[in-house]
Amino acid sequence: MPYAETMTSRERVMNALAGLPVDRTPVSNPTNVATVELMDMVDAPFPDACRDPELNAQLAATSYTELGFDSIQPYFTIIQESSALGCEMQWEQKDNWPTVRMANPIWKGEADVKIPADFLEHRDMKSITGAIEILRKQFGDEVAIIGKSMGPWTLAYHVFGVETFLLMTIDDPDMTMRILDKLKVATYLFADAQIAAGADAICVPDHATGDLVSGEYYKRFLQDIHTEMAERINAPLILHICGQTLDRMPYIAQTGMAAFHFDSRNDPQAAMDAVDGGIALVGNINNPETLYSRGPNEVRKEVYACLEAGVQMIAPECAIPLQTKLQNLLAIPDAVKDWSAERL
Amino acid sequence: MTTLELLSAREVVTRYGDCVELVPMDPNFHDISVGLYERDGISTVWTFSRRPSVDDRMRDIVDRLIKLGGMEIADAWNRLRFTCGDLHTRPLKFLTTAAVERTAERDRPEELQIKDSKSPLTIDMTGEQDGNRYVYRISTTGEAKNPALRLRAIIAGFVRYGEMEKLDDTTITFSCGQRHDGLARLILPYSRNISAVEDALEADALRGQMTTSTLGFAST
Repeated sequence: MPYAETMTSRERVMNALAGLPVDRTPVSNPTNVATVELMDMVDAPFPDACRDPELNAQLAATSYTELGFDSIQPYFTIIQESSALGCEMQWEQKDNWPTVRMANPIWKGEADVKIPADFLEHRDMKSITGAIEILRKQFGDEVAIIGKSMGPWTLAYHVFGVETFLLMTIDDPDMTMRILDKLKVATYLFADAQIAAGADAICVPDHATGDLVSGEYYKRFLQDIHTEMAERINAPLILHICGQTLDRMPYIAQTGMAAFHFDSRNDPQAAMDAVDGGIALVGNINNPETLYSRGPNEVRKEVYACLEAGVQMIAPECAIPLQTKLQNLLAIPDAVKDWSAERL
Repeated sequence: MTTLELLSAREVVTRYGDCVELVPMDPNFHDISVGLYERDGISTVWTFSRRPSVDDRMRDIVDRLIKLGGMEIADAWNRLRFTCGDLHTRPLKFLTTAAVERTAERDRPEELQIKDSKSPLTIDMTGEQDGNRYVYRISTTGEAKNPALRLRAIIAGFVRYGEMEKLDDTTITFSCGQRHDGLARLILPYSRNISAVEDALEADALRGQMTTSTLGFAST
């Protein structure tokens, strides 16, 4: 019997996040899908598309309307909150990611940590909440809209600088915890605002990455905070951490978050074994090699490997390279549908 | 039809094939992206931008691909192929970049000669028909410490970036065996310094990638 789709994209994503049955595995990138060609298609180039709600919504929608993904993610970068906190920004051009100039950090210690009263009113925050409102109005219940709110670990990198913050975790772990507690307020504020604007789920990137800190570090500094977030934020949460993370996946699986967006440096089956059903997995098509420089056949192989392992949502491992070729992005939903037709 | 149609991403890939080269920002026309899509040996010049006069800009790029690379129009105004029928994938990368990013004023002169970037030598390239293939001979003039070593390195550059075949220590030919003076002229500057070209290509590849290092999250 041929496989037939019986769910909307939104139902598919929300069911996968809730651990409920789906008609096929959803394709959903919680970090983003934007390329220079898609920017041209809707005349919404970076960096303007990161700072203007209308342009933002137009570009974000292409993941659904052009590529056939099951979700829309209108927060492309990882720097919107840091801009609102006052970090020095490098907005870059169309073909590169805006970044925080972390060589010029704005804060030195615990006493400096203050979330501005007008934090949510900053243009780089309104560009996201405004885009979500537009998208919800445009698409109704058709497609899942995923917001994003940076975790306190990532924010600490931006406001203190990576090296300073990591040294702080060694020199004064108690102060580090107090700082993370203060910074998590920003995560809550932005997540709540996006949910109020119409977001179905929130991605929480918190870059305790495998090449910088250990799994034990994750347990010590972040597991409780992420557990609290899962209880406190009124939407399914998708944690995103880059790098090798198998060592912390068992801890992540205990947080109560709905899903973990994982990197291609982790084997899909090993990742599924590591979380042992405690959390859904999203991932993990390789960006720099497979999506950027190889072809649809290689993409298809990685999609199939994830599906065979039982990964609950298929996605590139992180925000896709801005010069990713369209045939490789189209190959992701194609492969999922082909696999479903063969196996379901 | 001599204008770009309004097509979806899937329609473009279905109709024109895979994007084999993508210039993310055209510095000569509103920073639009320009792609070269390939199917059945035919390359289609394409952009999703619909800015006013974009068709004229695409025609300019088509003209430059013909002038610089010796391509010819296939079955439509924005569809091109090499006369030999081969794709010449690697040199096509350099050709596309030159066609989009450079202006005519910055094109290299017609002669097949250039100053070496790593020695005081001058590199000369001559070509001649040799049986059923066209052979390019590389030589150097001037004084340098070890010209033979430089010549070997330059030949290796042609093999790498032109996808050419090395026939002996001084001669090379394109994989199709045909004459492609335009491509040879384009590859000549790149052949002089493989390490610098590799660094530049790597930097291009990293641009627009979100990684712990490109975002400043690296430990060093």
